[in-house]
Amino acid sequence: MTAASSPIHAKPRNQNERNAMKSLELHRIEKSYGAYHALRGIDLSVEEGEFIVMVGPSGCGKSTLLKTIAGLETISSGQILISGRNVTKEEPGDRGIAMVFQSYALYPHMTVAENMGFGLRMAKRPKEEIDAAVARAAKILRITDQLDKRPKQLSGGQRQRVAIGRAITRSPDVFLFDEPLSNLDAALRTQMRVELSGLHAELGATMIYVTHDQVEAMTMASRIVVLNRGAIEQVGSPLDLYRNPANLFVAGFLGAPRMNFFDVTVDSVSGATAAISAPGLAPMTVSLADGVAPKPGDRATLGIRPENIRLSPDDTTRAAISGKVRLVEHLGRETILYVDAGALQCVSSESGTGNVTVQIGQVTPTAADAPVSLSIDPHDAYLFAGDGQRTVTVRKTIHTNRTKVGTI
Amino acid sequence: MYPRPVPETAHASRRLYMTLVGAILIIWLAPLFAVILTSFRSMADVMSGNLWGWPTEIAVVENYTAVFTQTPMAGYFLNSLVITIPSVIGVLSLSTLAGFVLARYRFPGNMLIFALFVGGNFLPHQIMMIPVRDLMVRLNLYDTTTALIIFHVAFQTGFATLFMRNFIAALPDELFQAARAEGATPFQTLIHVVVPLVRPALAALAILLFTFIWNDYFWAVVLTVSDNVKPVTAGLANLRGEWVSAWNLISAGTIIVAVPPVVMFFLMQKHFIAGLTMGAVKG
Amino acid sequence: MTSLWRRHRWWLTPTLLILPGAILFAVVILASSVQSLWISLHDWDGFGPMIWIGLGNYRELINDPQFYVSLKNNLIWLVMFMLAPPIGLAIALLVNQKIKGMRVVKSMFFIPLVLASVAVGVVFTWVYTPEFGLLALIFRAFGANAPALLSDEHLVTFAIVIAALWPQIAFCMVLYLAGLNNLSEELVGAGRVDGARGWNMLRHIVLPQLTQVTFIAIAVTVVGALRSFDMISVMTRGGPFGSSSVLAYQMFEQSIFSYRFGYGAAIASVLFVIMAVFITWYLTRIIRAEERGA
Repeated sequence: MTAASSPIHAKPRNQNERNAMKSLELHRIEKSYGAYHALRGIDLSVEEGEFIVMVGPSGCGKSTLLKTIAGLETISSGQILISGRNVTKEEPGDRGIAMVFQSYALYPHMTVAENMGFGLRMAKRPKEEIDAAVARAAKILRITDQLDKRPKQLSGGQRQRVAIGRAITRSPDVFLFDEPLSNLDAALRTQMRVELSGLHAELGATMIYVTHDQVEAMTMASRIVVLNRGAIEQVGSPLDLYRNPANLFVAGFLGAPRMNFFDVTVDSVSGATAAISAPGLAPMTVSLADGVAPKPGDRATLGIRPENIRLSPDDTTRAAISGKVRLVEHLGRETILYVDAGALQCVSSESGTGNVTVQIGQVTPTAADAPVSLSIDPHDAYLFAGDGQRTVTVRKTIHTNRTKVGTI
Repeated sequence: MYPRPVPETAHASRRLYMTLVGAILIIWLAPLFAVILTSFRSMADVMSGNLWGWPTEIAVVENYTAVFTQTPMAGYFLNSLVITIPSVIGVLSLSTLAGFVLARYRFPGNMLIFALFVGGNFLPHQIMMIPVRDLMVRLNLYDTTTALIIFHVAFQTGFATLFMRNFIAALPDELFQAARAEGATPFQTLIHVVVPLVRPALAALAILLFTFIWNDYFWAVVLTVSDNVKPVTAGLANLRGEWVSAWNLISAGTIIVAVPPVVMFFLMQKHFIAGLTMGAVKG
Repeated sequence: MTSLWRRHRWWLTPTLLILPGAILFAVVILASSVQSLWISLHDWDGFGPMIWIGLGNYRELINDPQFYVSLKNNLIWLVMFMLAPPIGLAIALLVNQKIKGMRVVKSMFFIPLVLASVAVGVVFTWVYTPEFGLLALIFRAFGANAPALLSDEHLVTFAIVIAALWPQIAFCMVLYLAGLNNLSEELVGAGRVDGARGWNMLRHIVLPQLTQVTFIAIAVTVVGALRSFDMISVMTRGGPFGSSSVLAYQMFEQSIFSYRFGYGAAIASVLFVIMAVFITWYLTRIIRAEERGA
C-alpha cells in the first residue's frame, strides 16, 4: 500500500485504463478445510459496473466465495485481483471492498452517522471529509433523519439502508452483499429488491451479490454465477441461463415451477438431429448443437419447462403425452396441473412425485381426475447427455432489449 | 473468532505462540509448582536448609503418608466429605424446587423473593456470623458437621435458585402446557418433565457447589472447634500453626486439600465452565 | 380433606415446594443479617445478657484507629482488585485459539480458581517466606535479598492482595473466555472490512460486545475485595499488629477472640452498608446506561 494513495481512492485516471482493467478477477480459487473441498478452481472475471449474482443451493460455497473475495476467509491457492491489484494477501480493509452482511452487522453502540463513518475514521480521513461522505450516502438512501439514532431504534428496512450506507461512504471498488434481504419479510424484500437495482443504476458501481433466491437473481443480475458444490456451473445473463442452461443442474435450478425431466433413450442420430423415445412419450426429434453427438442407444435426460407444455385435445402434429390430472392449483393468473402420465415418470421433480408439472398461463376448467393430452414443441425441449453434464440441444435465441448497466 | 486464528499453515508462528503461552503458563502456576516440589523434599533437606538445591532424596511417599498418619488430616478429609456431599444434594433439591416455582408461577412477590435469593448471595458472611453461631449454639449443633451442612444448604440455595430458575425459565412453554393438558399435577410435572431436562444444569451446579463448599474456610472456623469435626480447610490452617517450619509436610497437606476440587474440575471441565458462565452471562 | 387439597392444589403445591428453601434461606441468612444489626446496638460477650447501648458501639468505632486501618486496607484491596478484569481479559485473549491442546492449557490457567483460599494462602505464605520462599529465590538470582513482605507493616496488605488476585484473575478469565465465544462473527467481520485492526478492533468492536461480561466481572471483583477474609486469616491473622486487617477480619477478631459480639456486629454492619451502597450505586449506573442505549 503506497503512502500516496489509499486503496479506497485508487481509481484509474483515464478512460483507457478503466476500460482495460477488470473490476474483479478470480484466478483458480481453491479452498479446502482438511479433506473437505469448499471451493474448486473458481475462475471469474467481472467488468466495472456489473451486477453479479452468485446463486446456488445451500452449502454450494457462495457465501464462502464472497468471504474470500472480502478477505474474511483465506484461500488455499489462487489469486484475487481488484481493479488490477493483487489483493490475495491483503487485509479486508485494504482491498477496496465494502460489505453488506446478512444481519447488517451495525455497531450497536454507535449512532447511524458513526456507523457509516467508521471505515473512513479507521483510514484516518479528516472529519470534514467523513461528514460529507456520510451526508451524501444518507441522502442517497433517504436516511438523513436517522443519523443520530442508534441501530436498536430502527426498523429492519432502515437498518438495511444504514448497512448499505456504510458501504457507500467508503467508495469501494467493489460492493459485496451477503444475502442482505433474507432477514426481511416478503413485502419489504420486494421493495428493497427494486431499490437495490435502482441504487446500482444510480451509482454504476460493481456489485457482487449472494443469494439463494433465484427470483432475486433473475431480476437483479446483469450476470448470474451458478455455483454447486464449490464449483461454477455456469455464468451468463439471466435470460441466457434460463433459455440455454449448460447442464441439467442449471436447468433445474432456475425457473419455478421446476423443469420436468424424463429418462429417454437416443434411438438414432442423423446429421444435426437425434430421435429420442421413452415409454409413454411419443417419439420426437430434437436439434443438436454443433460438435456434440450422442450415440444411438445412449441414455439421456429430456427436459421441458412446465410453461412449454400445452393442453392439446386433438392436435396431432406435436409430440404427445397422455395422462390423468392428479391435482389442480389455481393461482389466479395461472393454473398448475400435476399430471400422472402412467409409464412416463418425471425424475427428480420438485413435488417429489413422478407427476408431470404443467403450467398454463390462464384459468382453465380442467378438473382433477380428468384425462388430458399434453403436447410439446421439440424446439422447446432440452436434451442432457453424459449424466446431465452437458446440454446437447441447440442454443435458443433470446429476443430481449436489456442493456448492460454501467458501460461507458 | 477473535483474536484472529493463527493459520494452520503458519508453522513458525504457531510454534512461537505455543512457546509464549507455555512460558506464561509456567510463570502463572509457579507458586503451585513451588509447593508441589517442596512436598517432595525430605525432612533432612528441610532441616539443613536445602530446599531448592538438588534433593538428597525424594520423599514423596514419606511426606504424604506422614500427613495422613501423624496428623488428623485423614479425619479432616472425611469430615469434608461428610459436610460437602449431603450439602450439595440438599442444595440441588431445594433450589430445583424453588427455581421451578419462581420460573413457572406468576404471583405477586415472585420478583421480590427472587431478588432476595440473589441479593442474599452478595451479603458479607460477617453480617450473619454472630446470629448463625448463636443459633447453632442454641440448637446444640455448635461444633458439629450438621451445623455446617445446615448453613451451606441455606446459603448456597440463594445462588443455586437463581441458576435453576433461569434454566427452567428457558424451557419451552409448550412442554408445560402439554403436561397440564394431560392432567399432570405440578409435582408430577416437576418430576417427569423438568428434572430430566435440567440434568446438565444440575451437573454444572453440582460441580460448582462442591467446589464452593469444600473450599469454605470461614464457616469451618466459626462453627467448629474440635478436630473430629473440622473439614480440611480449617484443618490445614491448624496444621500450619503446629508445624511452623516443616514446609515439606505443610506443602503435602496443602496439595491434599487442593486435590479433590481440582480433580473434579478436570473431570467435569465442560460442566464447570458452563456452570460459571450460564448463571452469569445468560442472566 | 382430600377434596380440600384437590380444590386448592393449584396454589398449595407450588407454595409447599418453595417453602423449605425459602424458609431455610430466610431464617439462616436473611433473619441473621437483620439480627446482626440489632445486636450491634447492644454490648454482649456472647454468654451473658445483652445490654442496650444504642449507638455506643458506633461511637467507639469512629474513634478506633484500627477501624481506619481496616478501612484503608479495604480501599487498597478494592483498588488493586480492579487489576483482575483487565489481566483476566488479557489472558483470555491470549489463549483464545483453536489450536490442539489449547483446552488443556485453558484448564491449567483456571486451576487457581478451584483451589481453596486456604490453600492459596498457604501457597503464597510459602512463596513469601524469607530466605526459602520462591520470592527469595528470585531475588537471590539477581543478587539481592527479598524483603520479608508479610512482616512489613507497609507492604503486607499488598502482598496479600497479590495472592488473592491469583484466583480472582482466573475467574475473570473464565468470564471473558465465555464472552469472547459469544462475539458476533459478523460484527468482527464488519470491523475488519472497515479496516479496524489491533487496538482499534478491540476498543470499538470487541469491548462494546463484552460490556455485560465486564459488568459482572467488576461486580464480582468488588464484592470479593470487600468480603476478603480467608487470605488475611491464613497468611497473617491481621498482623503485624493489625496492619493487614480489614473490616471482615477485624469483626471476626473482636467477636471470637475478644468476645465483643456487639462491637463485632457493629463493624459487620458498617461493612454491610458499604457493600450495599456500592452495589446499589453500581446497579443504577448500569441500568441508566442500558436505557440510554449503550
